[in-house]
Amino acid sequence: MRLPILSITFAILALAPALRPAMAEAGGDWVSYRDAYRAMVVFEKYGGAKSLLQQHLQVLPRVPGVDAVGLQLVVLGKTSQGRFPLDATLRTLFPLARAAYDDNAELQLSRPVGPFTVRPQISIALRPDNSYDSEDLRQGCEQALGYARHLALFGARRCAGVRFVFAKGGPAAPVTLHGGTGTPLAAVPGVPFAGDRDAGFPVVTYRFAGAERVQLDTATMPLAITPLFN
Amino acid sequence: MNKLTAVAMLSFLALLSQAASAQTPVPDPMPDGSGDMYAGLGVLSAPRYAGADERRQRLLPVLQGQWSNGLFVSGMSAGLHLSSLPLLEYGPLVSLHPGRDDGGEGAGAVGIARLQGVGNLPNMPQALVQYNARVLAEGNRLNGLPSIPRRLQGGAFLNLHVAPDLRLTSSALYGAGSGHNGATLKVGLQAMALAPAPHHTVTLEAELALANRQYNQEFFGIDNDQSLRSGNPLYAAHGGWRDARLGARWHWTFTPSWMLVSSFDVTRQLGSTRTSPLVERTTGVSVSTALAFRF
Repeated sequence: MRLPILSITFAILALAPALRPAMAEAGGDWVSYRDAYRAMVVFEKYGGAKSLLQQHLQVLPRVPGVDAVGLQLVVLGKTSQGRFPLDATLRTLFPLARAAYDDNAELQLSRPVGPFTVRPQISIALRPDNSYDSEDLRQGCEQALGYARHLALFGARRCAGVRFVFAKGGPAAPVTLHGGTGTPLAAVPGVPFAGDRDAGFPVVTYRFAGAERVQLDTATMPLAITPLFN
Repeated sequence: MNKLTAVAMLSFLALLSQAASAQTPVPDPMPDGSGDMYAGLGVLSAPRYAGADERRQRLLPVLQGQWSNGLFVSGMSAGLHLSSLPLLEYGPLVSLHPGRDDGGEGAGAVGIARLQGVGNLPNMPQALVQYNARVLAEGNRLNGLPSIPRRLQGGAFLNLHVAPDLRLTSSALYGAGSGHNGATLKVGLQAMALAPAPHHTVTLEAELALANRQYNQEFFGIDNDQSLRSGNPLYAAHGGWRDARLGARWHWTFTPSWMLVSSFDVTRQLGSTRTSPLVERTTGVSVSTALAFRF
């Protein structure tokens, strides 16, 4: 019995690298669509309040400094294919497609950037008029906190504010606060999301102050509005 | 292949499986009516039975299936996720406990001869006498002990995610052994989905197992009759700790469909099982590797 077992072991080890060129010929690195689907559909099936939230799939390249311009997420399956543009934070709306799930499709990028992973990313929904009521932002933050508690036993306890993340090269003070002090809020360089590597995005942090209700206007549409927890 | 056929086929394969995995897959949601299945084949090198010094290599079927209705099959276990909360997993669990004969644990090729001990040697065919003498000379402490049949156990599992990648696990099963009354309780901690390199994930786990007196006596005790037949000293095992296990599982995915699944486990006998005359080594190591297809 020992010889056949050894033969099978060597056969397995020989097969392992033999499977890799097939992957490389498909056009670069990849992640499993099915794994991404199963991570992303958690939010879709979440029954709590989420009307002010949105979910994206974010690409996390292993090597920092990837240029997002023109980069697309590509779904490659036997019967399902599609291309989805990534924004400057390397996020895109994720297509929840049963066909791609059943295909056990690959997710690739439109040009090689090396190994990458993906993760769901929750943010507060953007408004087309670039005008935000602080109460809506507070509610959006509370909804995000509720979802975070749904996913983790220990974690954030309360909402402290929100962060407006803008594209690079915009105005120095991209958020104006109406009511209260009425002053423009300056941006400082920061990462769009916790765990990101590029800390060069203009970020304006607005902290909730008691029951005061104010209006916040943005000079341009933010890339994202993220909740800030304590 | 429809779902019922798939479940029947996977259940049958689970019965054949030598993989004593009682892990419960994480119940990530999936499209309604769909599944996520793995099947493969590899090799396992493990002690001949719990506590044995001698090692044995055997084929290792790999099997895991999950369906959107919560049903799952994992190695020799099957269950149903009843919780809708991502932090909490619970539900019924059934698991096939491997049997044991003088060849060792499981339905290995060695276990075909049911030898009745030293006292019966003169009445045996010559081939069996020679075989028995050889086994005795090699110090097989199971020789002369009655075979323990493979049993289907029933119970439940309860898991709690204390952090996104950290899970407390527990399961209770009843029905092992010839008297159908062996019970085990396992509690563990899993650090899941560590990613040391692209396409490589590692899961680390630590697990403590307790068993009732009937279980420990069946697998580690020696009664008067067994002592006479096997030559092992009398030993009364009692309920309590059975073993502690540290394990690592490594998944190397070549494509979304193909992966190499390997594991390394160190198990240390505890409590009254540790001083059993059947235990030649209190610490045993199991290693396995298998090629699996995801479909």
